[in-house]
Amino acid sequence: MPPNPPRVSASIALPKPALQQVFDNLRAAGFSLVGPTVRDRTIVLDEIACLDDLPVGWIDEQAPGRYRLKKTREPQYFAYNVGPHSWKQFLHPASLRLFSAEKSNGGWVFRPPEEPQPRYAFVGVRACDIAAIAIQDRVLLGGEFRDPHYARRRENVFVLAVNCARVNPTCFCASMKTGPRATAGFDLALTELPEVFVMEVGSDAGSEALRDTPWEAATAFDRGRADRAMRDVERQFERQLKTDDLPKLIYDNLEHPRWDEVATRCLSCANCTLACPTCFCTTVVDTSDLRRTKGERIRLADSCFNRDFSHVFGGNIRPSIRSRYRQWLSHKLASWIDQFGTSGCVGCGRCITWCPVGIEITEEVNALRAKAAK
Amino acid sequence: MPEQTHWLGAFLAHLSPRVQEKLLSLGETFHYSEGQTIFHEGDPSLYLYIVKSGQVAIDVHVPSKGRRSIMTAGPGDLFSWSALVEPRIETASARAVEETEALGIKGGALMDLCREDPGLGFEVYHELAEVISARLIATRLQLLDVLS
Amino acid sequence: MLPRPAVIQAIRPEAAGIATYTLAFVDPADRDAYHFLPGQFNMLYLPGVGEVAISLSSDPGEPRVLGHTVRYAGDVTRAISRLKVGDVLGVRGPYGSHWPLEEAAGKNLIIVAGGIGLPPLRPVILSILSQRDAFGRVLLLYGARTPADLLYTREFGRWREAGIEVNVSVDTADENWRGKVAVVPQLFYFVRMEHKNTLVLTCGPEIMMRFVIYEALARRIPKNAIYISMERNMKCAVGFCGHCQYGPNFICKQGPVFNFAAIEPFFGKEDF
Repeated sequence: MPPNPPRVSASIALPKPALQQVFDNLRAAGFSLVGPTVRDRTIVLDEIACLDDLPVGWIDEQAPGRYRLKKTREPQYFAYNVGPHSWKQFLHPASLRLFSAEKSNGGWVFRPPEEPQPRYAFVGVRACDIAAIAIQDRVLLGGEFRDPHYARRRENVFVLAVNCARVNPTCFCASMKTGPRATAGFDLALTELPEVFVMEVGSDAGSEALRDTPWEAATAFDRGRADRAMRDVERQFERQLKTDDLPKLIYDNLEHPRWDEVATRCLSCANCTLACPTCFCTTVVDTSDLRRTKGERIRLADSCFNRDFSHVFGGNIRPSIRSRYRQWLSHKLASWIDQFGTSGCVGCGRCITWCPVGIEITEEVNALRAKAAK
Repeated sequence: MPEQTHWLGAFLAHLSPRVQEKLLSLGETFHYSEGQTIFHEGDPSLYLYIVKSGQVAIDVHVPSKGRRSIMTAGPGDLFSWSALVEPRIETASARAVEETEALGIKGGALMDLCREDPGLGFEVYHELAEVISARLIATRLQLLDVLS
Repeated sequence: MLPRPAVIQAIRPEAAGIATYTLAFVDPADRDAYHFLPGQFNMLYLPGVGEVAISLSSDPGEPRVLGHTVRYAGDVTRAISRLKVGDVLGVRGPYGSHWPLEEAAGKNLIIVAGGIGLPPLRPVILSILSQRDAFGRVLLLYGARTPADLLYTREFGRWREAGIEVNVSVDTADENWRGKVAVVPQLFYFVRMEHKNTLVLTCGPEIMMRFVIYEALARRIPKNAIYISMERNMKCAVGFCGHCQYGPNFICKQGPVFNFAAIEPFFGKEDF
């Protein structure tokens, strides 16, 4: 085994149990490992320490409004797609203290919170989620203002990406050109084969994580098998979204009857926005002690499906479910493009799986095309 | 369009010269002093008025609230269109806010003229429809109380 | 961004439920560093209560003291109504886009305001006063619900003397009112103006602005010569919380002042 870690952009093969050593290297380097694990019959993202914490042998069966796990006999570590969690729960947490204020000398003194800076290693990031992180980077770091809380969490994140081994009927990353293969934005990316992980080294940090592990240069045979596996995956997509007429299709159909139709099904429950890896909306709550001498400002995740989201003096700009569903979809697939230069959707399919009534974003967009409003 | 004093305003100015002349020939000028009541709500509506100078307030009396102005008419503006619409009864009161001169056109005579001269009749009622339409839109905004 | 402490230097009641708060930053460095353009807004913060977006209504040429005309409407503004001169609150800003004074140079201006829509336009009027010759005819069309709701009436004389044609109306009045009774869009019928080389700046309830735009377009003023100020739920003011979105625009960044031609596809769309 070569003692030095592999160079960046090398393609290597790692015996699967040795992934544990990669975990150990990362922890020794000060990273907190978070990755997929089974809880409550769902694959969620949480702290992990060892390979056994991963959903070994589990696959997910996803459909509109449906999520089930099934145990298989093959000991695959990463044979599922994405669950309800996405990496935004670590980078853009649902609850965050922004600052505190204290009365002093007749005035107020404002203080930012002192928080320990977490260094995350994200284990098992799918290509769609890499794209989602990049989209949130653009929203929260790429504009006139930078979100300092996101920036603090985002720097030094280690990304161990996984190329999906299969496709669920809810996935459409290929249409959104975000997957299924991870091509950038990772420190390490692996394709799982029966005995080895074929890994691409994406950065120095990725290289370091492989130090002293039993890696070998990937043989042509290994690379061939990995490529074939990925091409098999690419052929499995059932779901598609045509994007070349976006955003115009949506802007031209803001009064389409389809919005009325989907409003009869949508519960405005906000699940889709919670599960969506790019949704970023938040609200703030101010709290104080009884004597009004100390105050705090807390940022909370919010959703455009919440009625109060569009509250102004005198009432609500979007009082109907129809208007709120239209806001969500038109933002995700149309105005996002004008705001940030890319679509807001990565094709992960979470909104389809986690919608309690099984509304499918791809079907809704197609319906706007099928009988376009006169 | 002949050069006329600016009080011709929207109503008269949009009529053809022939019709304008006919209307002006039917008109008589009334003078009102500041605060003078021009007519009360419920009075028979005898004249269609066009303000020549000054300002007229259109009031509605609301029990327990008193007199509320819902509109003011300035030079060129038309008021008391009820003179041309059955049952020809004033639907509000009119009061001169300041010293005012107004051209009054007898409603009955004008209606007869409209019947005899359909071309003139069309023009008059067409312009009247425009005035009432603009009033209606303004009234909707008042009703919605958007500035509250 | 953290709010900076500012002290209330003066409180002037303007109408029922409306008062102007004049603020000055406590730290002289903040006072020196702060500048704003007409149409922009600050976030005023009361710890433990919350923040509210309030347009600046004072003279941009005197940015060391900042005027905010506040209508008492929700939790935060009602808490502000209980403050006194000398109290301190948090201020961050200025945010948002501004009225196009540079583009207006040499042109005629029709400023149309309804109710609480006048405060965000007052900085425009004050800027014009300080360089009156830079502009052509300047008309103000302003209306409130009743005479008691009219704002800044003390200043109309000074504005008229400086060559601004001030036209005022109320929606309804009693017999003591000697002015016009009309809704704001109707004020267009009382004035004559050139449609060429004229900009319209308007602020007020959205439905009022809709009718103002109809009147302006009916008088052949081009769509891109009309500017409006939009309002949406404002929380972070820096384009992150997503609340103030209006189509592809964030009211806190691309707005609140918009060129009408730019947002025409969305303007007036029901529940948008």
